[in-house]
Amino acid sequence: MPYPALWFRRRICFYFREASALFYAQLIVNGLVQGLIVGLAALAVTLVFGVARFANAATGDTMTFGAYAALIGHKATGSLVVAGGAAVGATALLSLTAYALVFRKLAGRSVVALLVTSIGVGFLMRAVLGIVFGHNQQLFTVPLVRPIRFNGLVINPFDLQLAAVAAVALVGVFLILYATPIGRRMRAVADNRELALVSGIRPERVMIALWLLVGAVTGVAGMMLGMKTVVSPELGWEMLLPAFAAAILGGIGSPAGAVLAGLLLGVAQELSTPFVGFTYKLSISFVVLLLVLLVRPRGLFGRLEGVR
Amino acid sequence: MINRRTLLAGVAGAGALVAAPSILRAQGTGPIRIGALNPITGSGSPYGSGMQKMILAVAEAVNAAGGAAGRPIEVFAEDSQTNPQAGVLAAKKLIEANKVQAILGTFSSGVSLAVLPLCNDAGIPLFHCSGAPALSVPPANAKGLGFRFQATNGRFGQAFAAICEKEGFKRPATMAFNNASGIGNTEGFRQAWEAKGGKVVESVVYEPNQASYRSELMKVLAAQPDVIVTGSYLADTTIILREWFQSGQPVRWIIPGWAANPELIQALGPDVTEGVISVDSVSNEGSQAFAQYDAAYQKAMKQPGTANVYAAMTWDMLNVLALAIEAAGSSDMSAVVPKLREVGNPPGTVVSSFAEGKAALKNGKINYDGASSVLDFDQYGDVTPDFGAYFITAGKLERRYVVKI
Repeated sequence: MPYPALWFRRRICFYFREASALFYAQLIVNGLVQGLIVGLAALAVTLVFGVARFANAATGDTMTFGAYAALIGHKATGSLVVAGGAAVGATALLSLTAYALVFRKLAGRSVVALLVTSIGVGFLMRAVLGIVFGHNQQLFTVPLVRPIRFNGLVINPFDLQLAAVAAVALVGVFLILYATPIGRRMRAVADNRELALVSGIRPERVMIALWLLVGAVTGVAGMMLGMKTVVSPELGWEMLLPAFAAAILGGIGSPAGAVLAGLLLGVAQELSTPFVGFTYKLSISFVVLLLVLLVRPRGLFGRLEGVR
Repeated sequence: MINRRTLLAGVAGAGALVAAPSILRAQGTGPIRIGALNPITGSGSPYGSGMQKMILAVAEAVNAAGGAAGRPIEVFAEDSQTNPQAGVLAAKKLIEANKVQAILGTFSSGVSLAVLPLCNDAGIPLFHCSGAPALSVPPANAKGLGFRFQATNGRFGQAFAAICEKEGFKRPATMAFNNASGIGNTEGFRQAWEAKGGKVVESVVYEPNQASYRSELMKVLAAQPDVIVTGSYLADTTIILREWFQSGQPVRWIIPGWAANPELIQALGPDVTEGVISVDSVSNEGSQAFAQYDAAYQKAMKQPGTANVYAAMTWDMLNVLALAIEAAGSSDMSAVVPKLREVGNPPGTVVSSFAEGKAALKNGKINYDGASSVLDFDQYGDVTPDFGAYFITAGKLERRYVVKI
């Protein structure tokens, strides 16, 4: 960028030349779609952080596993419903297995120990997926449809379905958290582990329920991402940083915050492109994150908490 | 205690040692050691075996013709796994343990960029098939030991411009993956196109691994291009073409061959890919060297030589190296490397194999015309192959013409 002033003027020119309300509306729509997937992944990250209290870096690779499970289900039956079922079921099981074999043994260790372990777990999953399925890309073969035009706004019907699935997943998580006994216990453990223990809650059961729930959400997120893009062993890993960013922005441990923050980041990224270009839009997430941490360190919906 | 059997074995062993290959006694008369570092596994695996077998086939032919500078060629083969880390380990082994005099046939730019510094340190040449422009110049090619048998990304861009002109496109736009190769393609195109007096209506550089490229497409399509020229890879091309098709705006595409390949067609189906122009470098198919390579390739791989442009490149690598050694009269690489241009570039008697060149060298200068290209190295050690324009029609890649730049 030899002439910053000139560069900036060009950007501003682009901004005014293209600056119809429609153009921005379209960018917002594109951003919402991107954000939905980030939000789903952030939901999985935030649930683990809220209850098990560590940042699970295997979330991305668990998503990849979900995408492959869905792909197998879809190839075998041709039904997206079956594919979704396969993704949810298989990923929930994988998630529980990871807990039973690894994370349970490390309960009580430091947050850093668990984080590093989860990086290892993710690495193992990625390597196994690479060996089993190879590194060539695979694709969901779904019929391509023309978009719906709504007052000039271009909306892909598939994205509407995606939004619906994300909404259903979110409502499901909320119902489990707020309308079932196990959900209440989960929240109790998240709130104050010691207090929950002395009031007779058995943490083992809570953890099993948590990892099944997290696995199911991760599976859905993986399938969605896989359907939007192409499935390869690196699929979910690439998604991890935006998901972490959204989880922090939303307030760690807050499910609604995670999804909302995902949407916000997606929209902020796309709206920034007329100014910073496509190469730098990814950094906008991190600028937003930085500002939030400076101004409101607990995130949008997080509670203030002391160190215990 | 020595019994008769051990005594006999000892005597036989001592005898073998005396008769052992001359390398044990004198460095100057033993075989010339050459490393073949090819992508046998990993994403280059469709090409690697064929590349390695062609190096072995040429070594056999050179040895049958009496060797280079009177010495036979011995090939040490390693797998780069199409992976820089594995490639570096293998190159170290070749250089330090096998004491090779040259490394032939690295494939991906990542591997070549990682291996070239090792070759610089050892003072031996690296012959590669990678496209990244950075391989031409310092720091990577600081000592001029890197020789490229594939087109640079910049030359791919020139081929795109030639095809764009031939097809009568007026309003091209570009989309590039944000790395040296992707931007190399589209910048090469822009320079060539603007030199012809054309204008590029919009350029977008995008980051990889996105869930959607819709905003990027929106910006490109808003400029109403009649063709979009890309510098991209398979995964992002798949996503971009799918989203473009769903947008419904008609436009044509010119895409490098490593992205617009049968896998892309299989992923997207014939409807989406119809009319896409795929551009890839092609071998020097009319040449005598190609005919010889083709025969050797069919024998080794049971496939036509056209199936693997990179195998034709490795075929030329050892031929031209052996000729340079012959011309230098020694395997000392500081004497051999300057001879590479002398035996590969005009003027001189045109030759198409080592045996032919060895004979012609007695009468003066030679010009080796290869199986992969006419093999004239420029100041950077780069060659200029021809390019094929392949059109995807009804789900098949069909070559319509060859472009020379």
